[in-house]
Amino acid sequence: DAVSVLPAPQNLSVQSTNMKHLLMWNPVTRPGETVFYCVEYQGEYESLYMSHIWIPSSQCSSTKSLECDVTDDITATVPYNFRVKAMLGSQTSAWSNLEHPFNRNATVLTPPRMEVTEHGLHLVIELEDLGPQFEFLVVYWRREPGAAEHVKVVRSGDIPVHLETMESGAMYCVKAQALVKAIGRHSAFSQPTCVEMQGESLPL
Amino acid sequence: VPCVFCGLPKPTNITFLSINMKNVLHWNPPEGLHGVEVTYTVQYFIYGQKKWLNASKCRSINRTYCDLSVETSDYEHQFYAKVKAIWETRCSEWAETERFYPFLETQVSPPEVALTTGEKSISIALTAPEKWKRNPQDHTVSMQQIYPNLKYNVSVYNTKSRRTWSQCVTNSTLVLSWLEPSTLYCVHVESLVPGPPRLPMPPQKQCISTLEVQTSAWKAK
Amino acid sequence: QEFRFGSCQVTGVVLPELWEAFWTMKNTVQTQDDITSVRLLKPQVLRNVSDAESCYLAHSLLKFYLNTVFKNYHSKIAKFKVLRSFSTLANNFIVIMSQLQPSKDNSMLPISESAHQRFLLFRRAFKQLDTEVALVKAFGEVDILLTWMQKFYHL
Repeated sequence: DAVSVLPAPQNLSVQSTNMKHLLMWNPVTRPGETVFYCVEYQGEYESLYMSHIWIPSSQCSSTKSLECDVTDDITATVPYNFRVKAMLGSQTSAWSNLEHPFNRNATVLTPPRMEVTEHGLHLVIELEDLGPQFEFLVVYWRREPGAAEHVKVVRSGDIPVHLETMESGAMYCVKAQALVKAIGRHSAFSQPTCVEMQGESLPL
Repeated sequence: VPCVFCGLPKPTNITFLSINMKNVLHWNPPEGLHGVEVTYTVQYFIYGQKKWLNASKCRSINRTYCDLSVETSDYEHQFYAKVKAIWETRCSEWAETERFYPFLETQVSPPEVALTTGEKSISIALTAPEKWKRNPQDHTVSMQQIYPNLKYNVSVYNTKSRRTWSQCVTNSTLVLSWLEPSTLYCVHVESLVPGPPRLPMPPQKQCISTLEVQTSAWKAK
Repeated sequence: QEFRFGSCQVTGVVLPELWEAFWTMKNTVQTQDDITSVRLLKPQVLRNVSDAESCYLAHSLLKFYLNTVFKNYHSKIAKFKVLRSFSTLANNFIVIMSQLQPSKDNSMLPISESAHQRFLLFRRAFKQLDTEVALVKAFGEVDILLTWMQKFYHL
């Protein structure tokens, strides 16, 4: 095993937004040299039942980058440990561990971007594609005093979804929030978007 | 005639092709035996039971497929199948499939789609695909009965505006109202079954045009 | 998306993720099982399980898989290069187990006993085999287990 003379990477942290999880650390510098890094993880099962077992990250078994997308490694809503070591030729550093285990239920959920259009008299919404974990709660109403709100769950983003068939000439408003059942949480609502139904007037 | 000497190469790429529980075993002829009159014999095995069973309809056959739908119709079970090549008194080793689980692996075809149109509306009637049955007069079982949470993904394409929207539905009828008159709409429907990833089936596609707007005399009434 | 094993509710598990994980290693794992004449999760173990029984049976089976099957099978998994899929299954089984709280009410004794008999049917078959063989077979039958669990999964 190569002698550990390289310093271990410091300040490991995880930045997670909309279920995309990025592990980051400070660089280990060697003038004129390129230092590589290796990332490994273990879930709660490994740490409970076989703490000596660490799994190589799917994306970063050897990377020059100072960050690693560990989204595909985190596939359960349990605490995950991460560790990183530096590598330079035959030299390797000690492992540096993430100070606190990371659980994906801590991810930051942002209001989803959406596009509301009207096809003739149809209110159609297309939501930002945030990945398979996401569903969206869509609320729409006719913009008039006392109008009732209608609610629909949209299973996936990036596909236009038909909400309702509307009355010509009326103004309708829509807002949406992202839902992630895997962690039992949702984002704040987006700002409402309102569209006026052009469409043809109703036959007499 | 029992084969005496086992020197033939095995059949290759042995696999089940399963659609709506019609389970057909397919294989490729052994390599290097072009122009040779090879026949095949098939056996199957129910995981957890004791012995291999002969596929009665597939003994010394020339074709390279064998319909095992009857033998594998109990979809609570898992199965293996194997085939060997025979030529005169020589034969091959058995070539065996992976463990086959029809309930998880059968492809579910899209539903039957019936479209009827009005001036500004299209109604879509969906009929779940039928499970394979041995005889046409046998009792019909719908794939919906096997997969209670079978869903359909319905995509509607307006050929004039070139826009598509889709809906995931569980029931068998869907009415699209307030469409544009005299416009050709195309409807694509595919079946969605929860569980492991399955080989996709081409969606059912149908197009229909909404009727023209009625004459103005009708409007003045 | 949640499991409802009778009165036991489990959230935070995306079943398609488990399916995908197992499907990645299904053929690798099942090919290792040479004793095809034995099925541990026989139809009688999982057929017609009532909602009330399901929480007890799920708890027993998942606990056995975590503490016995996965724990001892892990050394084989490393060489099959399916560590990641294995980790997905194991960690999600922990999530399910942590939320399964079968009722300890005396009125439920006949039901919990019935579920226990089903579990014993499975475990007896497991113990009749050589340990290594049993581990490989049990792991190869996770598709049977997930198929049964799918019945209690609601979108």
